[in-house]
Amino acid sequence: MISIHTKKGYSLKIEGKPSRGLEKLATPTHLALLPEHLPFVTPRLKVKVNDRVKVGSPLIEDKRLTDIKFLSPGGGQVVAINFGPRRVIKEIVIRLDKEEEAIQFEAFSDQEIETIGRSELIGAIIKGGLWSLIRALPFRDYPLPDSRPPAIFLGLGNIEPFQTDPQVYLNGNIRLLEYGLQILRKLAGDRLYIGTHKDDTFVIKSLDGRITHTYWGNYPAHDPGVWVYRTKVSSAENRSWYLNGQDLLLLAHLLKTGTYPTERTVVLAGSSAEKRTHFKTRLGVPLAHVTDGRVDPQDNRDIRYCIGGVHTGYANPKESYLGFFETSVILLPEGNEKGEFLGFIRPGYRKPSYSRAFFSHVNRSDMEMNCNKHGGDRACIACYHCAQVCPVDIIVHFTFKAILAGEVEESVEHGLLDCVECGLCSYVCPSKLELFATLKKAKAEFYKEQTR
Amino acid sequence: MKLLKKFFESQRRHFVEGGKFARLYPFFESIESIFYAPEHVTRHSPNVRDSLDVKRYMTLVIIALLPHYAFGLYNVGYQSHLASGLPVTLLAVVLTGLKVVAPLVVVTYAVGFFWETLFAVIRKHEISEGLFVTCALFPLTIPPTLPLWQVALGISFGIVIGKEIFGGTGRNFLNPALTGRAFLYFAYPAQNSGDAVWTVLRGTQATTVDAFTGATPLSVAAVVEKSGDVQTALTHAGYTISKLFFGNYPGSIGGTSTLLSLVGAVFLIILGIASYRIILGCVLGLLASGFFLNLVANQSPMPFLSLNPFYHLLIGGAMFGFAYMATDPVSAAHMPGAKWVFGFAIGALTVLIRVFNPAFPEGVGLVIIFMNLFAPLLDHIEIKYRLRKRISNV
Repeated sequence: MISIHTKKGYSLKIEGKPSRGLEKLATPTHLALLPEHLPFVTPRLKVKVNDRVKVGSPLIEDKRLTDIKFLSPGGGQVVAINFGPRRVIKEIVIRLDKEEEAIQFEAFSDQEIETIGRSELIGAIIKGGLWSLIRALPFRDYPLPDSRPPAIFLGLGNIEPFQTDPQVYLNGNIRLLEYGLQILRKLAGDRLYIGTHKDDTFVIKSLDGRITHTYWGNYPAHDPGVWVYRTKVSSAENRSWYLNGQDLLLLAHLLKTGTYPTERTVVLAGSSAEKRTHFKTRLGVPLAHVTDGRVDPQDNRDIRYCIGGVHTGYANPKESYLGFFETSVILLPEGNEKGEFLGFIRPGYRKPSYSRAFFSHVNRSDMEMNCNKHGGDRACIACYHCAQVCPVDIIVHFTFKAILAGEVEESVEHGLLDCVECGLCSYVCPSKLELFATLKKAKAEFYKEQTR
Repeated sequence: MKLLKKFFESQRRHFVEGGKFARLYPFFESIESIFYAPEHVTRHSPNVRDSLDVKRYMTLVIIALLPHYAFGLYNVGYQSHLASGLPVTLLAVVLTGLKVVAPLVVVTYAVGFFWETLFAVIRKHEISEGLFVTCALFPLTIPPTLPLWQVALGISFGIVIGKEIFGGTGRNFLNPALTGRAFLYFAYPAQNSGDAVWTVLRGTQATTVDAFTGATPLSVAAVVEKSGDVQTALTHAGYTISKLFFGNYPGSIGGTSTLLSLVGAVFLIILGIASYRIILGCVLGLLASGFFLNLVANQSPMPFLSLNPFYHLLIGGAMFGFAYMATDPVSAAHMPGAKWVFGFAIGALTVLIRVFNPAFPEGVGLVIIFMNLFAPLLDHIEIKYRLRKRISNV
C-alpha cells in the first residue's frame, strides 16, 4: 500500500460541515441537464421543446465525438431549453410524469461482467450515456474510448470542504461497488489503483485489502492528479484515468440493471445552511428542492449557491439545477458588503488566512467564510504563497507570467499540465490575481490546440 | 463610523463613470479602502479567498517601522541638542525631533502620493500600497538636515524612475526607496554624505559645541591608521557596543538602531511578511566576509580589516537595510534558494564596500540595489535547476 502525505496544499478552516446522516427526498416535479457545465463538451441538441423523453433518452450529443451522449435523467416532457449569452445551452428542463418510462439497456449479471470483452463493455457504457464519468488526466476530459490507460485510479473520499462522504454513499452499496470494480478491472487490466483516506476505516475495512493508495494531509491530497504526480516514474503515467466512488456506483447500476441510474447522494453544507447533511435525490434535481426550508432563516444576507465545491465549484442561481457531475450544494454568505471599519489593521482572530499575518493563525476552530475577495486587485508582489501552497510544485506566479506573456512552451515546461486544478493559488493570493482561472484556461487551450 | 460610511457613499457618485472626477477614481478608492475594504466578490472559482490582501501585507511593514520613527524623533532631537549645547530633556528633544522630521515625512508622502495617483489615473488601476511602504522607508534613510526640495526630488526619482516607468509596484526591479536615496547621494553629495549632515544645529549655533563630535562610527572606523585599533578608536570616540546597538548616535533619521531593526525583522519574520532566508543570509554573509577579512588583516596595511565582524552588524544602517530594504519581495530574489544567495551576497558586499572603498563609508544601500539587478539571474538559475527535476508532462 502506497501512503501519500500531502504536506503542501492547505485545508481551509471553514465552518459548516455536514453530518453523516442521509435523508431521502421526495421526487421533484422537474429535472434538468446543464450542458454548460460539462467540461470540454460542445453540445448538439437531440430534443426540442415539448418532446417526450424517457429516462435514458439522449438529450445532447458531443459534436466532437457524436457517440458520446448525455441522457435524460427523468421521463416526461421537455418543457424548456434555456440559452445563455452566445447561445450557450444552460439548461434542458424536463417535467416529470407521474409514471416515468425508462429505456432498457443491456444488463450484465456478475458472471457476464467477468467474461465480457473490453470493447463490448466500453460500448455498453457509451450506450448507457455514462462514459464521461471516467476522466483522463491531465486535461480531465473523458478519455477516447479506443485508448488504453496507463492506470485507472478510483478515488474514494474527497477532502475538499463539504463533499459527499464515502461512508454515506457506500453504505449498503458494497456489492454494487464490487461489481463496479469488475468493470474497472476490465478497463484497466492489472493497473487499477484504489485510494482512500488513511483514517477512513469504513472504506478500508469494506474493501479489505484492495486499497492500493492511502492519502492524508492537506487539501487536495485526495486528488488522483496529486497521487500520479507524487508516484510517477515516467511521463506516460500522466495519461491515467480516474473516477470517484459515487460515479462508479452509477456505472455499476447501469450495467447491472440495464437502466439509466437516476439517483445521487448529494450533500448540503455551508455556514448559511441550517440543515447540513446528505440527501438521496435525483440526478439533475432543482437546487431549491434540496435547499428549500433548509437555509438558515436568521441569515438575511445574500447567499451564494456554490455547486460542486468551495474551491473548484461554480456559483449558480438558486432557480437552477444540480449538474451531471456535481454532488454538493454549499451555501455561503455572498459577502457583497463593505468590510468592517479599518478592517485591514485589526488583529483578525476570526479572519481565516493561509498566512501568519492574522491572529486567526492560532485559532484552531472553524471560521465563517464568505465570497468576498477581501481586497482590491493588485499586481503580483512575489510573496511566493502560491508556489508554497501548490501541491504539485508549480512556481505559480512565474508560470502565470509566462502564460500572460504568451510563452506556452515555457509554461508547459513549468509544469502547467501537472496542475490538479485545486484552486489554492488563487485562494492564497494577496493581490487577488486570478491565477487558477488563468492556468486552467491556458491548460484547456493547450488541449484544444493539441486535439484540433 | 456610520457617518463616515455615509460620507463615502455620498461622494462616490462624483468619482464613478459620469461623475465630475471620474478620472480620479483611484484616489477616491485608495482613501475609501483604507477605512472600508471593498465589497468585490469572487467571479471565478475558488469561491472563497484568503483574508490577507496587499494592504495588510504592506501595512504590517509600516507598523514595524513605527518604532524607528519614534526613535528617530528622539535621536534627531537628542543629537541636535547635544551639538547645539541645549538641555537634553525628553520633551524638548522630542519636540525638536518632530520639527525636523515631520516636514520630511509630510513632503515624502505628499510627493509620493501625487506621483502614484497620477500614474494610477493614467493607467486606470488602483493605487498599490507598496507606495506607502516606500514613503515610510525613504525618510528613515536620509540625513535630517536634507533640504525639503531634495527630499521631494529624491522620492520623485525613486517612485517615477525606480518604479512607475516599469509599470508600478510589482513590476519594479529596484527598491524604489533606495533608488531615490542613491540618486540623492550621487547628485548632491554635499548634502548627503560627510560628517556634518547628520546633525541638525539649533539656535544661534553655527558650528557644534566643542565636546560634540559629529563623526559617524563608520567614518571613525575608516580613518583609523594603526592595525588592530579600530575597536579602541570607536570606544574612544564614544561608540561603545551598547551605544552602537541602540543607535543613539548621529546618522540617518531612524536607521541607526540595530536593536529596533532586529525587533522589526523578528516581527516581520513571525508574521511571514519578510523572508527569513534573506535576512539570515544577509547576516551570515556579513559575518562571514567580516571574519574572512580578519584572517587576512595581518598581511594588509588597512586596519579596518581587523574589525570584529559583529561590529559591522552594529554600526551604520546594515541591519536596517537587511530587515526592511533587502526583503522588499518584489525587487529581491523570488525563489527560496536564490534568496539565501541574494542575502549572503548583500551581507558580504556590504563589508567589502565599507572596508575597501574610501568613497562610500556605508555600503548597504548601494549593495542592495546592486543585488536587485542580479536577483532575476539568481531566480533564473534556480528555476532552471528545479524544472530539470520535473518529469515532463507532454
